[in-house]
Amino acid sequence: MKKNNTQNEFSFRAHARKQFRHNKPAYISVYILIFLAIIAILAPLLANQKPLYIKYEGQRYFPAFSFKNNYVITKSDGSIENIQLDIADWKQMDHEKVIWAPVPYSPGKTDMLNTGYKGPGDAQLFKDKNGEIIEMPRRFRHILGTGSLGDDLMAGLIHGARISLTIGFISMTIAAIIGLLLGAIAGYFGDNRLVTTRGKFWAVVIGIFVGWFYAFQTRSYILQDAINASGFNLLFQLFLSLLIFVVIIIIFILLGKLVGKLPILNKRMFIPADTLISRTIEIFYAMPTFILILTIAAIARPSITNLMVIIGLTSWTGIARLTRAEFLRIRNLEYIQAARSLGLSELNIIVKHALPNGMAPALVSIAFGIASAILIESSLSFLGIGVPSDLVTWGSLVSDGRDKFSAWWLVLFPGLAIFITVTVYNLIGEGLRDALDPKQKK
Amino acid sequence: MGKYILKRILFFIPTLIVISLLAFIISINAPGDPLSRMVSATETSGEMGMNQTNTQNEENRWRTKLGLDLPVFYFSLTTRAAPDTLYKIYDENEKSALKRLIIEHGNWPHIAAWHSALKNLDKAITGISPDSTEINIFGRNAIADTINKLKINVNNLSSGYSDNLIKAILHEMKQNAAQLPFLEDIKEDIEKAELNYLAILQNESKYLNYIPSINFYKYNQYHRWIFGDGNWLTGRGSKDCAGLIRGDFGYSYETKLKVSDIIGERMKWSLFFTIISIFLAYLISLPIGLKAAAKKNSLFDRTSSVVLFVLYSMPTFWVATLLLMGFANTESLSIFPASGIQPVTGIPEDADFLEVIRLRLPYLILPTIAYTYSQLAFLSRITRVSALEVISQDYIRTARAKGLSDGKVLYKHVFRNTLLPIITVFSNVFPLAISGSVILETIFTIPGMGQQIFHAIQTNDYPVIIDVFTLTGVLTLVGYLFADILYAIADPRISYSNNQ
Repeated sequence: MKKNNTQNEFSFRAHARKQFRHNKPAYISVYILIFLAIIAILAPLLANQKPLYIKYEGQRYFPAFSFKNNYVITKSDGSIENIQLDIADWKQMDHEKVIWAPVPYSPGKTDMLNTGYKGPGDAQLFKDKNGEIIEMPRRFRHILGTGSLGDDLMAGLIHGARISLTIGFISMTIAAIIGLLLGAIAGYFGDNRLVTTRGKFWAVVIGIFVGWFYAFQTRSYILQDAINASGFNLLFQLFLSLLIFVVIIIIFILLGKLVGKLPILNKRMFIPADTLISRTIEIFYAMPTFILILTIAAIARPSITNLMVIIGLTSWTGIARLTRAEFLRIRNLEYIQAARSLGLSELNIIVKHALPNGMAPALVSIAFGIASAILIESSLSFLGIGVPSDLVTWGSLVSDGRDKFSAWWLVLFPGLAIFITVTVYNLIGEGLRDALDPKQKK
Repeated sequence: MGKYILKRILFFIPTLIVISLLAFIISINAPGDPLSRMVSATETSGEMGMNQTNTQNEENRWRTKLGLDLPVFYFSLTTRAAPDTLYKIYDENEKSALKRLIIEHGNWPHIAAWHSALKNLDKAITGISPDSTEINIFGRNAIADTINKLKINVNNLSSGYSDNLIKAILHEMKQNAAQLPFLEDIKEDIEKAELNYLAILQNESKYLNYIPSINFYKYNQYHRWIFGDGNWLTGRGSKDCAGLIRGDFGYSYETKLKVSDIIGERMKWSLFFTIISIFLAYLISLPIGLKAAAKKNSLFDRTSSVVLFVLYSMPTFWVATLLLMGFANTESLSIFPASGIQPVTGIPEDADFLEVIRLRLPYLILPTIAYTYSQLAFLSRITRVSALEVISQDYIRTARAKGLSDGKVLYKHVFRNTLLPIITVFSNVFPLAISGSVILETIFTIPGMGQQIFHAIQTNDYPVIIDVFTLTGVLTLVGYLFADILYAIADPRISYSNNQ
């Protein structure tokens, strides 16, 4: 009897998982994605000009794993050799034993002998231990060719995976946090559930104003100095500013509670959360996001971190919209009503009960969002905006190939890499959408 | 309906305010000084040998013309210690030094006095005129050197804020003045400046920095950008700028041309490619989508889905570069030219229409393909999905039941209702026409809006960027409204009247 019962019990989650597994392209995509992620994580071990292990002058070293800048080696004849890890000619060293990374090159590092676009099939040159220039031995061939500076394409591809996947992941994490939060608030509270008193409302508004003033305005020069000094100091000063901000707001919230008991100020007030957030989303839809990203990326100091933040801050709207719709539905369901009548706090209900069930549509949007974030990043680095010029990304590799049309490998392979990654995310998104669509229940 | 449209247009206003504000904030915080660029642009364009005062005058002229002598926004949040007239100091270094002094000492009246004492000192140094005996003793060059050095010192003083630095420079200047007789005249000014500086140190009021203060400015840069420098509503009395709402977009920093002229010149190519590509995309994707939907899960459906999906995931810049490599490659297959929209020699003026087309066509084909493909995949997918939805409706079954042929059902009954979601795509024409495609136009070097925007971003030409940004916002909103009205016309079930 009991067994029967569990069989009849319908679990949407189990059903969705099953549906997703039946979707072959999506399922395979997940494996490709895991493969890409492994490549990205292991990139420094897969493509590195520093050997993984080397035995030199009787001593053992692990240059690829080392955090040092240089080795000081006392040779057998008493002389001292200083090896700078990142610029040393490892391949010409008279080593006793060595283990190379699968691709014995680092991205963006010049190979003087193979500059000027050497194709995968072209003759490549190599300088051996005796300093003689010979034909490239098979082990050291640039498998996929080189770019204008003789930089190895394969190494660029492997390290580019790291950047693309990180950008996609982090920027969408930022977008998801904003989108889920705002969408949940808009959907759950609607226009007439977020109730406060007049006194509390104005106290918070004034609190934000005052907090801003003391946390950022009066400290603006301290922060500016910290930005110029950069590093740990900046983080510390920012943290301090935020701390001041939060403390002031908390003080004002407490104050608001008191003030909210006074006559006139104790009148109830509805905060139209849904209208405010929906309007904001509409504004974002009307904005030319790519131009916005392009402009901010051009103004800000070129850095991957900045890019991730910019992309994240501009692409949360889809997630928020879907979450809002889902929360509008969920908030009237019985289990939420039950939780409310039990007297749980609203925050508790949203985070513990509604969010786990309301996240599903956002997942689809996140998968597609990662794909488009990767596209945006590669477009930006193709245009050469917002990405440090010495950083090798898939987009910058294609851009290098644009200068010389006969260097087809520089356009084909990085483009394929972008294409595969984007397709994989799109397929996963499709698969999620089909799996989570209740209409498709069979 | 009219009421609905009016309501929608009223809703534009807050959205546009936010978008224009965002654009404005970006342009205000952008690096680079537009004035020095505009003035140096004049210098190189002919009038050589412009001296310093001339440059200054020119700078002042452009400053008023661009409205940069105004406060930034309607209000500013500052501290009690800071004056509300700080925006009138134009030199960025001086301004930040003053702000720094205010933060450190908090007594604006004394700081202002110090600032003006430095100005006087600078003037006095310029006015030094050594007599002939002095020139004989010290030599003309040495005197010029000393004066130059003094000027640099004053400059360092007015852009410096560190206590040690200021004291050291003042001390050095005083020693100089004591030793060299021809500096007799400025001795007094140096002492005055020093007294002023000491006054700052003696009368500190740091606590003022912790008292907030809000200043309001009725007439400011944002107001001027939007409403012009005349009456905000009627535009009467405006001189340099009629305001964005009256179609005056201001001047480009880069070329000094009116932004509206630039947009007018550049827009036609973006518009051309947008319209052609959307038209072609519709032409190709509608039959594909319909056919795929009509024979769901057939071989055609599956292959077309896969192909379109692949197309959809390909980055545009990659496809465009591949096209160029494949068909405009001088080293292998060079069917089409690689860049531009016309032969380098230009188009002869007496060429007739057909001749113009013959000359231009090879340049247009690759960009058109690239433009079209990016729309194609998306459109077909939408068509398929919406056709599938329509096909499962009862009235289609009815149509089949009464014996209509498959083709007739498809093109007469399904097709019409499939059109609805596609209207949405059409509404993108407007914004695309003005913003163009940055990537495609850059790759194919098409002189359209996209390339212009990219160029503007690279050269910090902010008036162009913020105007295009805001205009694109307007046109997107108009596009949405347009699409909604088209919906109502195409589908009688949709109604925007109040009784929903």
